[in-house]
Amino acid sequence: MLLEVESLVKEFGGLVANADISLELEQGEIVGLIGPNGAGKTTLFNCIAGYYKPTSGKVFFDGNDITAWPPHRVAKMGIARTFQALRIMPLLTVEENIIVGAFCRTANRQNATKNAREILELVDLTGEAHAFPPELPIATQKRIELARALATKPKLLMLDEVAAGLNPLETKEIIQTLIRIKEESDLTLFLTEHVMEFVMTISERVIVMAAGGKIAEGPPEQVAREERVIEAYLGERYAKGR
Amino acid sequence: MRRVLRDIFSFGDRPFFERIVLLVFVVVVLIFPWFVESAYARAVMIKFLLFALFALGWNLIGGYGGQVDLGQAKNVGFGAYATALMMLHWRTPFWLTVPVGMFFATAESFAVAYPMFRLRGHYFAIATLCVALAWKELFVFWDWTGGARGVEIPIRPTPNFTYMQFGEVGYHYFIFGLFMAQFLFMNWFRKAKLGYELQAVRDNEDAAASLGINVTGTKVKAYCITAALGAIGGSFMTVYYLYIDPEMVMPLDLSILIAMTVMVGGAGSIWGPMIGAAALIPLDMYLGAWLAGGGYYGIDFIIYGFIIMIIAAYEPKGVWGIIERIIKGR
Repeated sequence: MLLEVESLVKEFGGLVANADISLELEQGEIVGLIGPNGAGKTTLFNCIAGYYKPTSGKVFFDGNDITAWPPHRVAKMGIARTFQALRIMPLLTVEENIIVGAFCRTANRQNATKNAREILELVDLTGEAHAFPPELPIATQKRIELARALATKPKLLMLDEVAAGLNPLETKEIIQTLIRIKEESDLTLFLTEHVMEFVMTISERVIVMAAGGKIAEGPPEQVAREERVIEAYLGERYAKGR
Repeated sequence: MRRVLRDIFSFGDRPFFERIVLLVFVVVVLIFPWFVESAYARAVMIKFLLFALFALGWNLIGGYGGQVDLGQAKNVGFGAYATALMMLHWRTPFWLTVPVGMFFATAESFAVAYPMFRLRGHYFAIATLCVALAWKELFVFWDWTGGARGVEIPIRPTPNFTYMQFGEVGYHYFIFGLFMAQFLFMNWFRKAKLGYELQAVRDNEDAAASLGINVTGTKVKAYCITAALGAIGGSFMTVYYLYIDPEMVMPLDLSILIAMTVMVGGAGSIWGPMIGAAALIPLDMYLGAWLAGGGYYGIDFIIYGFIIMIIAAYEPKGVWGIIERIIKGR
């Protein structure tokens, strides 16, 4: 078991953002986390990655209890993440952004630069290496975040709505990049998306959240047929009328 | 080891013309005393190098770290007082007093850093300012440090390397040596792991943390290194002016001038501190003196303020940002 979340609860004042969530991820799996806007997907990611302290519950990673560890320690353990709202370093070049990620595993600049260049190639960013991120389109900036997360050599990569704001072609490209990354490593992928299509094509298993709770789990085709899932997305009337 | 040496001395990642300008700058400063006889011009040059040195150090926390620290004068004061008091009380040679000043500045900064970095932005700036002012008041009322009267260093009759006392030309090469050492340190630092981490923290703390960077730890390290660098310039001030008092080495004006030098020149760039010092110090020494001579006290401060307003409004990356834009636009 690579990642294990045990009855995790996160409350903000009176609002229960995550209500008793339990889930498990095996090494090498691709798992999608879906749900309508406001279902608590990003909150769950933030609790796992250490940005939020869970109200109760436990998070285990690679046999360690990492509950409420600070984000940088979680990253060192091998969990990398991207952000739903881009968090790019604007005054560093694309290559420097990724070198910062590579410094997570080495103190040597030559090695960090070498790793960064390999990853630039992997995500097709070599041509933009010396540009500054704010000059580039959103799709490219999303790639930079992905590359930067990969540069930390994670065991688990958590992608928070990596396809949000992209057009269908760009979405297809990023799916291809992710598949290529998977082929070259035994990385575990955990990705959220509220656009079903993206998650359904790439995930081996899907977890569905709605209103802070986990409502379904299973292979994509099976989950898509479940009444509770359709209800969460489209409302009660549609589910009943089918 | 070889790799570190190469990082210290190499400017290979900078464009060709920048390397040429650096070479010209070094040569001009080296031969400066040979063709400039005027004592005043030499003093201006020394003050320029001293402020370029201060600016280089502050650029670490303020430029690469993006933390507006308005208390660098306290570290200058620690360096200056460590040298002055050890020389006066125990006749300690100069080069033994420098590490002591650096040590005190670092230790004090480490002690106050953790509570201080719970604050952000303007609140952090105000906190640094208050700590520096508190130290100044302490030195004003402390008898052992000479209080408000300050400390006078006994003058040696002949040039003396133990206490670093010599003529104007000697001080010129002395401060240039200190400046170059700090400049090369910064050249190494900007390529080192901590340099990258610090810039990542400046640009986006959440992103930095997601890449395994301890945000507070990185800020604290940068704050302490900046303190140590500031103390070196303070030690130089003691042996150059041979007299120090709190109003001279620890005032608020000094903290602000150091920060301003970097911001005018271009925060977070390797050339910014030198450009800022070159713009502000001659202005102060020539224009200020000329206007005061005509009875127009304070006019130079108005001009100062005007320059800073223009730069803050039009180019947050300072003079260096303007130069860079012109080059790129070509």
